[in-house]
Amino acid sequence: MGNRTEEDYNFVFKVVLIGESGVGKTNLLSRFTRNEFSHDSRTTIGVEFSTRTVMLGTAAIKAQIWDTAGLERYRAITSAYYRGAVGALLVFDLTKHQTYAVVERWLKELYDHAEATIVVMLVGNKSDLHQAREVPTEEARMFAENNGLLFLETSALDSTNVELAFETVLKEIFTKVSKQRQNSTRTNAIALGSAQAGQEPGAGQKRACCISL
Amino acid sequence: MGAQAPGWSEAASHTGFPHILQPVVAWVWGTMAQALGEDLVQPFELQDDSSSLGSDSELSGPGPYRQADRYGFIGGSSAEPGPGHPPADLIRQREMKWVEMTSHWEKTMSRRYKKVKMQCRKGIPSALRARCWPLLCGAHVCQKNSPGTYQELAEAPGDPQWMETISRDLHRQFPLHEMFVSPQGHGQQGLLQVLKAYTLHRPEQGYCQAQGPVAAVLLMHLPPEEAFWCLVQICEVYLPGYYGPHMEAVQLDAEVFMALLRRLLPRVHKHLQQVGVGPLLYLPEWFLCLFARSLPFPIVLRVWDAFLSEGVKVLFRVGLTLVRLALGTTEQRLACPGLLETLGALRAIPPTQLQEEVFMSQVHSMALSEQDLQREIRVQLARLPESTSGPPPRPQARLPGAQAIFEAQQLAGAQGSAKPEVPRIVVQPPEEPRPPRRKPQTRGKTFHGLLTRSRGPPIEGPPRSHRGSTSFLDTRF
Repeated sequence: MGNRTEEDYNFVFKVVLIGESGVGKTNLLSRFTRNEFSHDSRTTIGVEFSTRTVMLGTAAIKAQIWDTAGLERYRAITSAYYRGAVGALLVFDLTKHQTYAVVERWLKELYDHAEATIVVMLVGNKSDLHQAREVPTEEARMFAENNGLLFLETSALDSTNVELAFETVLKEIFTKVSKQRQNSTRTNAIALGSAQAGQEPGAGQKRACCISL
Repeated sequence: MGAQAPGWSEAASHTGFPHILQPVVAWVWGTMAQALGEDLVQPFELQDDSSSLGSDSELSGPGPYRQADRYGFIGGSSAEPGPGHPPADLIRQREMKWVEMTSHWEKTMSRRYKKVKMQCRKGIPSALRARCWPLLCGAHVCQKNSPGTYQELAEAPGDPQWMETISRDLHRQFPLHEMFVSPQGHGQQGLLQVLKAYTLHRPEQGYCQAQGPVAAVLLMHLPPEEAFWCLVQICEVYLPGYYGPHMEAVQLDAEVFMALLRRLLPRVHKHLQQVGVGPLLYLPEWFLCLFARSLPFPIVLRVWDAFLSEGVKVLFRVGLTLVRLALGTTEQRLACPGLLETLGALRAIPPTQLQEEVFMSQVHSMALSEQDLQREIRVQLARLPESTSGPPPRPQARLPGAQAIFEAQQLAGAQGSAKPEVPRIVVQPPEEPRPPRRKPQTRGKTFHGLLTRSRGPPIEGPPRSHRGSTSFLDTRF
């Protein structure tokens, strides 16, 4: 709140990109926020971020996308990274099975640091490399379903599904947020201004515009 | 807003010359495509650039897109030295001083470290960095004490897990520097060798991605063996606890940095608290890479000159200076009402604020002494919560610069240890400056003495074009 409005937006949603080093997080970020891709983007050391505003119906949503180093040892210094995140893209490289095999570990890391209500999408990136695939679509899709995750395969290189991935996550967050607000209003009408916690499992406190801050 | 900020040297090419990237990107793409058996169309004029001989500038061929600046960055903006840069004869004088100091390094370090420190602050002449850096950080002693070690490490097969990670990162370190463009070139291969050697030398530490940029800058100046030992010294003696599996010293230094901010720049500190920008959101890349990814390249080199001489204190001073430049005025803070704007300001300090001489002078006049720093480190160390995972940081294992390293190595040598590795001795910085060893009147004369003191035969200077050049062409063979 109180942000300078060079652009008008109703909501700010913080979304984090997580996953092993080299799976394409930085390029997914640059593809979505700047429509750029580089084979030689630098290794991410520390934290990067970028934003883009999208329309969901009549609401302007400012997506604040965060990107960080995937290498294990950075986790010691990136726990602050998750604070306030309402969405996450858990990315693996579908041409490297090892990056998929550790998805559960990343999920645990995510739930250890972020809120339980966070919207998570499992993303199999590098779908352009057809002949190098090591993770079958169905296998990943089943895993996602069994764990309550959204799922898409993307290619930051040729843009396939990148917009769709982010927009789907943002839509899901928006839906949750709208429900919370509706429920809060209803409860307010009944209860005498007491706390709104607990209408939905894990709903937590009522959130206004700037969800993440 | 809040766009991801590329490094300065690359910023020019990213924004000003997008066509420069295309040949490089497309060539890499084509090579990858071939490796994967895909049939992608490649712009055919790139075939000329696909030589596997690496990045020797003779292969640049025609075309403005291959023009590299004086530091080797393709499309980079570091052309001729800007205003405020010392004139050529002053550089010559400094070169002479360094030649003299380095020819009697032990004597110099024993008796005239203050002069070394001053000269490092003024900046080592580019032609002499290759000679001075290994001396400053003690790498030359390591190399002398373990003459066969690097060779063994270079020839040994690497740990497959680390090799995969290292290899994947090779083209992602300084992708726009001509030395690192080609996978088969000296740059990437040198990086592979040096980083692999480190994981074999210290298997419990393994590979940290931030070692890539650090090793790359070293390799721009030094052959792989010397670069390796400099990397060892940086990772183990200057900054222990930075590059290991837990990065515990980074966490400690982040707390120390915030505490120093609170004392030295209280309004900035308050602003950062209010918008929720903790130091871990910007400090790690700065400190881990020794600012190699965050500042214009000429300033990076100046920072490294001072850092190798005076230790981690320099990183804190540079960090504090940058924060002050980004958020020091009320107007600047008002322009950053939130977290994103604030982080954006820290990453995008206008180039006008980053003029080499002015900036370094601000760094060296930052009111942070070694004693201040050590005191704050002790305070923050005591306040750290019991760590659930990983070892506690041991800042006392850190040596604060070239003098401490020299003394530790001398002591280790005198004790006759066969293979002095990481110095175990903690050397406290002197509480007071040492009394001058010469009468004040003569000190000034000494500085100019190299050219004028001799009453005998004239002093021959080194042939400039061949002596200790930092051109990677000269140091590769």
